[in-house]
Amino acid sequence: MDAFQGLLTGFQVALSLEGIMFVLIGVIVGTLIGMMPGLGPISAIAIMIPITYGMDPAPALVMMAGVYYGAVFGGSTSSILLNAPGISGTVATAFDGYPMAQQGKAGKALAIAAISSFVGGTVSVVLLMLLAPALSSVAISFGPPAYFALMFMGLTAISSLSEGSTIKAMIAAVAGFMVVTIGIDPQTGTQRFTFGNVNLFDGFDFLIIALGLFAVAEVCMLILNRKNRSLSDDQKLGSLKLSKADLKEMSGPVSRQSFVGFLLGVLPGAGATIASFISYIFEKRIAKNPGEFGKGAIKGLAAPESSNNAATSGAFVPLLSLGIPGSGTTAVMLGAFLVLGVQPGPLLMTDRPEIFWGIIASMYLGNVFLLILNLPLIPYLAKILSIPRPLLISLVIMFSLIGVYSISFNVFDLYMLLVFGALGFAMRIFSFPAPPFILAFILGGMMEQAFRQSMTISNGSLSIFVDSPLPLSLLLIALISLLVPAFLKWRSNRLAYKQR
Amino acid sequence: MKKTIFASVLTVSALAFAGCGSDDAVNTAGEDGNFEPSKTIEMVAPAGSGGGWDTTAREVARVFGETEIIDENMTVINREGGGGAIGWAYVHGKEGDAHSMFVASPPLMFVPLNGQSEHGHEDFTPLANMIADYGAFAVREDSEFEDLNDLFDQMKDDPESITVIGTSAPGSMDHMQFVRIAKAAGVDPTKIKYVSDQEGGALTAVLNGSVDVFSTGVGETIEQVRAGNIKVLGVTAEERMEGEVLSEFPTAIEQGIDESFVNWRGFFGPPGMDEAAVDYYEAKFQELSESEEFAEVREKYGWTEMYMGSEEYSEFLEGEKEEIAALLEEIGLGQ
Repeated sequence: MDAFQGLLTGFQVALSLEGIMFVLIGVIVGTLIGMMPGLGPISAIAIMIPITYGMDPAPALVMMAGVYYGAVFGGSTSSILLNAPGISGTVATAFDGYPMAQQGKAGKALAIAAISSFVGGTVSVVLLMLLAPALSSVAISFGPPAYFALMFMGLTAISSLSEGSTIKAMIAAVAGFMVVTIGIDPQTGTQRFTFGNVNLFDGFDFLIIALGLFAVAEVCMLILNRKNRSLSDDQKLGSLKLSKADLKEMSGPVSRQSFVGFLLGVLPGAGATIASFISYIFEKRIAKNPGEFGKGAIKGLAAPESSNNAATSGAFVPLLSLGIPGSGTTAVMLGAFLVLGVQPGPLLMTDRPEIFWGIIASMYLGNVFLLILNLPLIPYLAKILSIPRPLLISLVIMFSLIGVYSISFNVFDLYMLLVFGALGFAMRIFSFPAPPFILAFILGGMMEQAFRQSMTISNGSLSIFVDSPLPLSLLLIALISLLVPAFLKWRSNRLAYKQR
Repeated sequence: MKKTIFASVLTVSALAFAGCGSDDAVNTAGEDGNFEPSKTIEMVAPAGSGGGWDTTAREVARVFGETEIIDENMTVINREGGGGAIGWAYVHGKEGDAHSMFVASPPLMFVPLNGQSEHGHEDFTPLANMIADYGAFAVREDSEFEDLNDLFDQMKDDPESITVIGTSAPGSMDHMQFVRIAKAAGVDPTKIKYVSDQEGGALTAVLNGSVDVFSTGVGETIEQVRAGNIKVLGVTAEERMEGEVLSEFPTAIEQGIDESFVNWRGFFGPPGMDEAAVDYYEAKFQELSESEEFAEVREKYGWTEMYMGSEEYSEFLEGEKEEIAALLEEIGLGQ
């Protein structure tokens, strides 16, 4: 069966009354759960698994897929409005989304996020449809040395994530590296910095760090600045309408990062988080005015939002065509498949075309539904900001606690949330940037594992990183992206010096 | 905002529900020595949603309910963390509670032997074993190795040239099942190069040739074998397995390597569970194991039937533990 015929079968599933209904249920549940700080696609899918028992697999999986990308779509809301990312993929969204909301452009920020998400989601479904069979070879082309090189490339971004002191950014990054080593080391089974406490064996979940450093720290700042009325007076919804200039500004990053996000999503282990960070940095590097990033730049919001949604569809490539779950979320998705008696893998496309193509076809529909659902909701969502400050602060704290508790139902994690909240607060006061900490935490763990896997494979020879073209070229890109800005800075300094 | 509040209320109540059923330990064993559950039975999966333990627990709870073998409700709760240690500690704290149990498999032995859990299988009340799963050693379809002996001969000549990958940590299942079979074939177990990939990259690394051998469960290999991506050199079962693709996999024993490894999966109660309750659950699990509905479940996931009652189970586990402890000691991972 060729792709076109397959897609027709898929649309028959997706456009049946049952199909439409389950896509709708999936995206509504997903987007609502995703909007809540601390609750992301993993919780959303896990909640829905028992509901699918006994259902026909095709509509059930169409619904589960809807829950997944719906949650990523909705995930930007809490990042933008409250600086409280619900999933790791929307941390980068907060960098420029939250400042925009603070400047009284909450409505605009949400609209930009929704449109970028829609475009990212749709572009990547087209790519998924056209390339899914071919891309499965890309998904397996990355071995440990290539992953190390990719993570290293991501890390070169630390220098561009820092506003002000580079030293402080580096200190924050090193702290992030240190925190990610806590737990049982996967390569030796040795406990590192756990003090024998069983709660630390698995290390810290990303959400604890993200909600601590962003949401709790932000709440502390709000309490500290409570006399500063000017902040809340300006926080009106603002106009929803995007001007032509806004759209034009978005178009570049959105069209570029939809592709970048999709490709990174295809790689098992990379996923929406790494995609959103790399896209953010990508756009900042090529921007004419990188100084605006972090202060409410449209590009800085559009890039990660199109990228994380594109990556979500990209993650379906290894899942559907190889049976490889590339992330925690897709691992839970894989569980949902198995419960329904469907084995994703290289034969899914031929064995169960109605499921393979049904999911892909339903994503077109799902993304349209998400846009239609989300745009009219924006004015109501943005009103969250006009909730009286004390109430808002309590709500954010409550949701953060619920979100963290729902990861593993462990009270210890709640204390850790407060610890990281205190750390984040201290970092804010002494102006250490949080993004490098987060980036090092996300990339550091995978980077270390990939490095040590490579070392075991090569019997300790570093040449494994330069022997094959893929890791070598990624490392060269990393090197260039480090050297070029340094060179440009040096040149402009020299010019300035000469002119004096 | 209303919607957000509504949804949040839903979440909170869902969480509250999830917390129910974990109340005080009540021992309801009757004076006459018979036991009947008198409230919802809590089934703990010491891992997150979607994994092997979670799936087994949910399927067992579902079939118990649908067949009405047990009338009381059974709810599955997830206690994730520490490779199981958090869930075990949780159940361990419910001493004597006859309405609580958890699903377990060899990590209940490996994790404490590696010094990562205070509680091992001997700290709990074995109820029944239900199923067996086996390990498989796979290589890329175009690999030069045709059977296990090819692979092990190469490893005897040049152990550094072969890397084995698995999902679990060193000293745990994927690693030790390979060590156990390789040692029986004469490979020096201290020289086996094993890397762990817990982010789902293990199969990828085999497919792109970064590593040579994938040590995993048989279920994980079926689709890839059918698609012609990998070949299974050998499995750890005692005898040929049944099933469409499974029956094509040669066992290690057939290839002259006299060793096997079973990934058992069964159920345990908290310590000090009343004897009458143990008898009750043992009989119910046997009924479940023999039911047609559960046979369907086994077929769906490619599991083999392996029922053992409480006592037999306990003896089996003692034997396994001794062997594994000695092997861990030998490769320098024993605690």
